[in-house]
Amino acid sequence: MSLQLIVNGISLGAVYALIAVGFALVFSILKFSNFAHGGMISAAAYIAYFFYASFETPPSLWVTLLFTAAVSLGVALLLDTLCYRRIRKNNSPNIYYFVGSITFAILIEQILTVFFGKTSYGFPGMFEVASVRLLGASFAMMDLVVLAVSIAMLAVLMLLINRTRIGLAIRAVAINPRASRLMGINSGFIVLFTFALAGFLAGVSGTLLGIKYSVYPALGSSMMVKGFIASVIGGLGSLSGAIIAAILLGVIEMVSVYFLGSSVTPAILFGIMLVFLFLRPQGISGKFAQDKV
Amino acid sequence: MKNKTLAGILAACLTFGALAGCSAAGNGSQSDAPSQTAGAAGSNGGEPAAGNEDAILIGTIQDLSGGASEAGTANAWGVEYAVRVINEQGGVNGRPLEVIAMDCKNDVQEGVNCYRLLVDEKNVAAIVGPPLSNPALAWVDLSTEDEMPIVGHFMDERCTTNENTGEPYPYMFLAEPGCAQQSYSIAAYALEKLGIKTVGTFYNAGLSYAVMHAEPFADYITKNGGQVLAEESFQTGDVDYRAQAVKLAQANPDAVFICNYAADNALCYDYLREAGYQGIVLGNNTFQAPFNTLVKTKVYDTYFLQNVDMENPDDPSYAIVQKYMEETGVKYPIANACFGYDATMVLAEALKAVDDPYDGPAVAAALVEVKDAPGAAGPITINPKTHRTLGMPMLIAEYDENFSVKIIDAYTLSEEWDQ
Repeated sequence: MSLQLIVNGISLGAVYALIAVGFALVFSILKFSNFAHGGMISAAAYIAYFFYASFETPPSLWVTLLFTAAVSLGVALLLDTLCYRRIRKNNSPNIYYFVGSITFAILIEQILTVFFGKTSYGFPGMFEVASVRLLGASFAMMDLVVLAVSIAMLAVLMLLINRTRIGLAIRAVAINPRASRLMGINSGFIVLFTFALAGFLAGVSGTLLGIKYSVYPALGSSMMVKGFIASVIGGLGSLSGAIIAAILLGVIEMVSVYFLGSSVTPAILFGIMLVFLFLRPQGISGKFAQDKV
Repeated sequence: MKNKTLAGILAACLTFGALAGCSAAGNGSQSDAPSQTAGAAGSNGGEPAAGNEDAILIGTIQDLSGGASEAGTANAWGVEYAVRVINEQGGVNGRPLEVIAMDCKNDVQEGVNCYRLLVDEKNVAAIVGPPLSNPALAWVDLSTEDEMPIVGHFMDERCTTNENTGEPYPYMFLAEPGCAQQSYSIAAYALEKLGIKTVGTFYNAGLSYAVMHAEPFADYITKNGGQVLAEESFQTGDVDYRAQAVKLAQANPDAVFICNYAADNALCYDYLREAGYQGIVLGNNTFQAPFNTLVKTKVYDTYFLQNVDMENPDDPSYAIVQKYMEETGVKYPIANACFGYDATMVLAEALKAVDDPYDGPAVAAALVEVKDAPGAAGPITINPKTHRTLGMPMLIAEYDENFSVKIIDAYTLSEEWDQ
């Protein structure tokens, strides 16, 4: 029991981590919680589904993932152009970003509902064997794939942020945009690059969630709450904190549902978030991004 | 200047919002096919203005947008199609029916707004209700106050009878077996035909439809010699139920009853099988499509309820469902098209039996007496004691090798349980 629950929890946490990291990336640079990320994830799930379903011989999971992530990257840049760029240019207060992101989250979900809400969409099973038994426990193949892809994506992202010049530039802009500009960093490009990265992650998350569950307009928003909790517990704006918190959240949720039931578990998760906000607002990571919205 | 611009934007948003609100409550689904007939309907005391002045105006409130729009749209089409059929056959005592479709968006307050508009402004003779129970529960008292007959597919028994007294609400009627009747049917089938001794249940505790299936199912099993080993639930909005599936798999009952909407059913089924459960799965009447397009694990040893044999060309419901797919472009058969059709046919039978179709008490009294109304798959009789159907068989189905629904049996409850 315990091994299966913990692996299931880590797999669930890995999905939360992908969402929380997309959230944290934008927060670290622009200091606002990009709730439109949930809408992006839903849109990505539909993009992945229709791409996959458009071939007589369906493409592989990896091709679908790459295609969707690339298109989502473009959608994220479009979202930035339509919504955030003007706010940035006018140096408007953070509340404008917040309102804009909420508006776009609802708008994307509503558009998806209008065009696709009357039909249910689901990917077919992608594996000949749905689950495998290891050490007396049963593991779903899709969970193992989600776990592997999430870990790989997060590892690449951490390498990019911590070991490359552009990662250094992202960290510099996150810490002090003005000083970064004075040091010759093109902060406008860094913001765009960050949105593109978040869009890419939304594409991967949307594809994996769509395959794992089913494709529906509220898919992203239903997962965003957990992603948000993870990013708060991890320390808003901290990537490593978000990852650790998300994995912990997944395991705690799984164990709590098993022992206490599904009605009590949300209260426990929100309770943990409140405890962190009261006692350690900087989160697990200990890093605190200012101007939280 | 900036403040003026902001004020202008806000004013535009408020105006747009107000207009959108009116549209939602006032016209609802007027862009959808069923509402086209409503264009001819006036608001002058139930007498259609521009269309046929002799027409009888009825309303239908369905979930045309929101999370339940897949079922609601099919239901609304079924109502509109039944009206077409009735009118082609000469109408109700020579008078054509006209229907106004409203969208309650799977929202209780929207449902009340739609109801008030149909009753106060449009002065309809009766209302065909949605398949969802939550909006219908809010109309129980309203329909009594307004003497407004409502026939629908809100399967929660609390929509039609007072749960404390057992007395039927005078103006609420259900045109298919209720949740408990359906659950008793699959429970009885499992005990008698499949030899099940122990069961578990797996359902959405935040959905009255699911709760009203799971509890009667467990009740029937325990009262008839079976044993309930596990009752696992999740909440609306949850997306991962693997912990519950693991518990069910560990309890390892002979059968697990899953009774939610299709998408949740598919997830529950997948999680159960992935957790290693290899026993029998029993399902409610939403194990039909799109369940088979959403489920990812192999479906085996699975028996579920159906109201109609809609994939059988020899069944009368087949033509209705095919027509629905043809006219709407929906790619898989949905029984809700038959549900809307059935409710309208039951209502039409009552309207035919009265002198004045706008006399609510007379129509309600006639609905109590409806016998053998021409439903999509068979005759429908209303039980005067419950205002639900009487003696209506539930079909037991499984998936065949082509992953199509195959009806394998029909089960009619004994009089004791057919309540």
